[in-house]
Amino acid sequence: MKKKVSRQRFSTGRAKRVTGKGLKFSAFFIGVGGEGVLTSATMVAEAAHLEGHFVRGIQLHGLAQRGGSIPTIVRFGSEKDVVSPAITEGDADLVIAFEPLEAARATHYASKEKTAFIIDDYPYMPVYANLLDLPYPPMAEIVKRVKPFAKDLMVFNAHHLAEEEFGLAVLGNTMLLGAAIGAGVLPLKPASFRSVIKAMPRRADDNRKAFDEGLKLGKR
Amino acid sequence: MTVLAKPNTKTVLLGNEAIARGALEAGVGVFAAYPGTPSSEVPITMAQVAKKCGVYFEYSTNEKVALETAVGAAWSGVRAMTAMKHFGLNVAADSMGPIAYTGVKAGLVVMVSDDPQGWSSAQSEQDTRYYAKMFRMPMIEPSNPQECLEYTKAAFALSEKYGVPVFLRTTTKVSHSIGTVKVGKIKKPVTRGEFKKDFDRYLLLRPNLQKRHRVADERLAKIEKNSKKFVKSIRGKGRVGIIVSGVSYDYVREALRGLGLSPPILKIGMVHPLPTQAIKAFIKNKRSVLVLEELEPIIEDFVNRVAKGANHRLVVHGKDYLPRYGEYTAELIIPALGKALKKKVPSFAAHKKNADNAIKGLPPRKPVFCPGCPHRSTFYAVEKVFGKDVVFAGDVGCYVLGLFEPFRMQDFMVSMGASLGIAHGMTRVSDREVIAFVGDSTFFHAAMPGLANLAFNDDKSPLVIVMDNSITAMTGHQPNPSTGVTGMGDKVQKLPIEDIAFAMGATVEVANSFSQRDLLDKLGKLRKAKGLRVLVSRGECRLITKRKLRKQGLEFNTFQIDQEKCKKCGICTDHFACPAIVEIRKKKGDEPKYWINPDNCWGCSVCMQICPYDAIRPGVKK
Ligand SMILES: Cc1ncc(C[n+]2csc(CCOP(=O)(O)OP(=O)(O)O)c2C)c(N)n1
Ligand code: SF4
Repeated sequence: MKKKVSRQRFSTGRAKRVTGKGLKFSAFFIGVGGEGVLTSATMVAEAAHLEGHFVRGIQLHGLAQRGGSIPTIVRFGSEKDVVSPAITEGDADLVIAFEPLEAARATHYASKEKTAFIIDDYPYMPVYANLLDLPYPPMAEIVKRVKPFAKDLMVFNAHHLAEEEFGLAVLGNTMLLGAAIGAGVLPLKPASFRSVIKAMPRRADDNRKAFDEGLKLGKR
Repeated sequence: MTVLAKPNTKTVLLGNEAIARGALEAGVGVFAAYPGTPSSEVPITMAQVAKKCGVYFEYSTNEKVALETAVGAAWSGVRAMTAMKHFGLNVAADSMGPIAYTGVKAGLVVMVSDDPQGWSSAQSEQDTRYYAKMFRMPMIEPSNPQECLEYTKAAFALSEKYGVPVFLRTTTKVSHSIGTVKVGKIKKPVTRGEFKKDFDRYLLLRPNLQKRHRVADERLAKIEKNSKKFVKSIRGKGRVGIIVSGVSYDYVREALRGLGLSPPILKIGMVHPLPTQAIKAFIKNKRSVLVLEELEPIIEDFVNRVAKGANHRLVVHGKDYLPRYGEYTAELIIPALGKALKKKVPSFAAHKKNADNAIKGLPPRKPVFCPGCPHRSTFYAVEKVFGKDVVFAGDVGCYVLGLFEPFRMQDFMVSMGASLGIAHGMTRVSDREVIAFVGDSTFFHAAMPGLANLAFNDDKSPLVIVMDNSITAMTGHQPNPSTGVTGMGDKVQKLPIEDIAFAMGATVEVANSFSQRDLLDKLGKLRKAKGLRVLVSRGECRLITKRKLRKQGLEFNTFQIDQEKCKKCGICTDHFACPAIVEIRKKKGDEPKYWINPDNCWGCSVCMQICPYDAIRPGVKK
């Protein structure tokens, strides 16, 4: 049975489309170590670079392969404005949580005033849910917790779709980047991403397809 | 590869990559290092490009050997560099001190990165700047990737101009921040040289020792006078100034822009020797200054001292407004700016509290052993044989993750190789059984003297378990003597740990980490044996196996649970804790179902071996 495309939006108004001069855009990515978060963040950084933006950010390396939660930051815009590598509390323009539980951990960086929040409904159970008897929360619970920190909140099922279409769930990451652009909450051009993807050493074709799929998903 | 970007173009680099690029642009000929977060990506990057750029690269067995390798090259006229984490310098310090006196012929740069906040799961927040003071060496500190590149180049120039080894210090958030960087030209390295004897310089014995000490001091005085390149004075409004170094420079500039404030700023990129004249000039007409530096108040104390002569009424703020521990953030700096500049600034407390609440009660996601990790299997068997009442002397490496639930089998971790020494001290004063764990990389790094000491001094020695996954896993999978390849990717003979232990007189067993039966058997034998006992538990790091398979286009054979046979005992989740095995309950109190997620199963088969009901069997990939 083919998975249905699922896309829910809970907005209190669309996140502002930011473009043009004086741009200062801060994106926060969070997911599970070893699940391609760093790769996705790097794609965004490279796409922004291709468009001539000044790029900053944080990529905490080390310990990344062992299923911990890893936060990654990419900021871009004009050199005068994008000085710090970090995002101040509540100041992210975009949060992409590649895993639902991790979305809750991104709330520090997000706020009702400005943040577009994207969550993919593809749980990766932490062993501590078992060990500490803290049950993994249902999606509705995550949405309830995150909503007060989002101007615009979208929930996708990109990883499921990618798994079905390409037999590889991680491609859901790329799909989500496309979705962010499609939904107008990541001010970069699809063409820049296509160039970045073209240069990828592995599965460039599938990544491109996943990206285009994501674009459509975001626009719906 | 962006680190090899064309000259005079812009590219996005990690701070550590920018340092590697800087070294290439400076024409580094020899690069030797032992990995350690947050410095690891400097050697990782170097390893990737060394052959192409004609640089000699190696992973040495520890930081001291790495430094010495670089010194040998620099004394022979070849530009050399090493990189290490803060603790690495503790290991290398024994050689660093004397080399600060002898000086060098070609440039020698020692990159060292501190880790306030302990992102690398470090065991202390030491402030390495003290080493520069202690050894009479210059130390420069970049704030962002662009400066990482420029400072590395400048460090080589400085080193050669004054014949002095130079510290290049970063912190985690400088090493691990990315930024747009304008690159220069990569220089073809000189890689051949010759050592020229010079007894007066290289033989540090009295009275020559004092002479060389004086030389080191005089050099510093000269360097201080010529440190303009590393100091930036930015004009601004008002009589309250900001003195800042490291990553805080970028935090504070963006924060001030956001607040619409523009106090004068003195940015200090040379943290030793500190620029007395520039500080004097800066504080002359100030009412107060706020000093922003992570960890110890080194600059702050210095400013206080300079102010005694230059402006004795100056009020110096720093550690009274900001903590001495942990790293700085904009959320900490902004309130301090508010206090120092007497301006109203936004508070983050309410938002932080709400966000903290949003996470409350959710399961944490701490790092765990990968699925199929050989260490998990070894710990499981050790518990079966010894229970949990014995003392588990811990060490650093992936196996330290054994400290978390459900294992709780690392009772302490101090430094690389420390498990053996501390275990020895314990067996000297108590009859309690002690097990010392040590990884293969750690074995070669610092545990061999500990093992020799056990052979020498301990007749009722602790059991030593070498967790041999044949790689330096935790820091990003660098090769070590047990791997069989060098840092440049050349094949070499593996150094068998069991032979070394045997040569020291130990009773040695080698077990396959993926076989519970083998582990139980060998552990049982060793428990009964007398004297020095070593178990080498050998199993390839599963992540390496995974990568090898992927290269061949293959996947793991996964396992699955036969629901009819499963008695729901929960051993595979609660005691073995493999992240691929999930306990599913519709709601609390429901009867659970156990399921192996084929996406996460890395096919080690150990769960099949430990299931008491024979309910786990090979499955098919979806
Ligand atoms: C003096 C020092 N240098 C480097 C490190 C960084 N470090 C932490 S764990 C580790 C790797 C240990 O490798 P190994 O002992 O083989 O264990 P594995 O991670 O492979 O299980 C290193 C290099 C450190 N903690 N201290
Ligand atoms: S990286 Fe290797 S040694 Fe470390 S936890 Fe994963 S499988 Fe185990």
